[in-house]
Amino acid sequence: MGAVTDGGIPRIGIMESKDEVIRKRLLIDGDGAGDDRRINLLVKSFIKWCNSGSQEEGYSQYQRMLSTLSQCEFSMGKTLLVYDMNLREMENYEKIYKEIECSIAGAHEKIAECKKQILQAKRIRKNRQEYDALAKVIQHHPDRHETLKELEALGKELEHLSHIKESVEDKLELRRKQFHVLLSTIHELQQTLENDEKLSEVEEAQETSMEADPKP
Amino acid sequence: MPGSEGAGEELFPESCFALALRGSWTLAWGLESHPEILRGPNTKMEVFQTLQRLHMTIFSQSVSPCGKFLAAGNNYGQIAVFSLSAALSSEAKEESKKPVVTFQAHDGPVYSMVSTDRHLLSAGDGEVKAWLWAEILKKGCKELWRRQPPYRTSLEVPEINALLLVPKENSLILAGGDCQLHAMDLETGAFTRALRGHTDYIHCLALRERSPEVLSGGEDGAVRLWDLRTAKEVQTIEVYKHEECSRPHNGRWIGCLATDSDWMVCGGGPALTLWHLRSSTPTTIFPMRAPQKHVTFYQDLILSAGQGRCVNQWQLSGELKAQVPGSSPGLLSLSLNQQPAAPECKVLTAAGNSCRVDVFTNLGYRAFSLSF
Repeated sequence: MGAVTDGGIPRIGIMESKDEVIRKRLLIDGDGAGDDRRINLLVKSFIKWCNSGSQEEGYSQYQRMLSTLSQCEFSMGKTLLVYDMNLREMENYEKIYKEIECSIAGAHEKIAECKKQILQAKRIRKNRQEYDALAKVIQHHPDRHETLKELEALGKELEHLSHIKESVEDKLELRRKQFHVLLSTIHELQQTLENDEKLSEVEEAQETSMEADPKP
Repeated sequence: MPGSEGAGEELFPESCFALALRGSWTLAWGLESHPEILRGPNTKMEVFQTLQRLHMTIFSQSVSPCGKFLAAGNNYGQIAVFSLSAALSSEAKEESKKPVVTFQAHDGPVYSMVSTDRHLLSAGDGEVKAWLWAEILKKGCKELWRRQPPYRTSLEVPEINALLLVPKENSLILAGGDCQLHAMDLETGAFTRALRGHTDYIHCLALRERSPEVLSGGEDGAVRLWDLRTAKEVQTIEVYKHEECSRPHNGRWIGCLATDSDWMVCGGGPALTLWHLRSSTPTTIFPMRAPQKHVTFYQDLILSAGQGRCVNQWQLSGELKAQVPGSSPGLLSLSLNQQPAAPECKVLTAAGNSCRVDVFTNLGYRAFSLSF
């Protein structure tokens, strides 16, 4: 990737400034800034090693190439691990996402349940308040037991009084009858006495008339 | 400044002319809050429309059977249909808070509206009209039918203040200025009964599901319970006669009623009170000074609104749980969208002495307002 020319900098265009170059470079190979360059260096050093003359230089070049290679392998391994990690993170997130969905559904149900409970509680409260309102009114009226007791007492008094009245009336009747008897006896006596008087007057009158009339 | 006093004369009604002459042009029209009128050339139409919106009162609301639309009726006889699903969606814009369609429904104010599962019934100036929900969004919607209850004299056309649907009998109950409740069968359109008993006009109706009985509250200060099958008055509660709740300085009128089969809450002239229907005793008095115009039971709360900006939330024990201010200076109607078909549009809407309908998505605060 990237045109390789001397110095490792691809020849883009004569008109572009250094900034453009840097920007483009960053865009192309932003992340592993060293990787692309490392591979280019490796290729160059390989060519150099092929063309090298002495044994030592060749050997050191060879070592250097091996180390560059291992560096590349290392970074590749790292990237693979990161990729693996990302996959597993995705799975993890999927799992969490599903769990959250379930709990949202559960929460919705709970909310519906609670709403029903609120309605129920409101109904209960309303009933209680109605009860209280009626109870207040009822409190104003006197207690039934006491009223009943008062009624009983009054009843008893009434009975008692009516007994007394009866007995008094009986007495009155008796006395009235006795008086009546007394008075009628007196009357009879009077009558008898008068009758006697009249009889004796009549007898006297007869006697005098007989005396005045003896010479016919 | 557009239009000197001389040139713009055709715009000024007599009553504003004096003020305008003195130079307080904006005061005459209450237009200080509408600076756009004072800039640039404005047509008569725009000025007229702005004025209409300033003096608008929304009397009634109704939710569509699908739960996605809200109809609102105002004092000019117009009905506007808003799309709740568009206004509540995440990409709502300013236009979503405007009505999808507005049409002239009645000649007089639309005092009351209810929805059946296919129709929107609206009433106000003595007639009840029906509109199909499926057709209402198209332009030039015509009413399906209109009926007028049999009034005693043909000269008077009393207004209809309240409509009530009785689903079990498929009938509609109307009540209003002629002090009677008229029952109309929705299938045949015939008026079956007239329930007489109130001595003054009727403000509000409520349905007691268990019996089934209808409660009506009126200007004469009495809440009357009527049995629909025997067409007789079953119970009368004269609220103003009870010392705990009567407020003679406000009057004895009953402005709002709501019932929960065993309990009833009513308010208006007398204080907002919770009654136990079986024993006809007032159990809790809610400490609210302003007369309330609309009240409803919701879950374990009682929501009420009336004179004053706020929607009040009460607990049955008499405590004020919350007071949430709206955008209108006074509120006349509340509507809870509890249609099962659209749970995402479950909102409370409040409307009253302005052209705006406040939408509360959560009872704690006002989310936004729809506007005529």
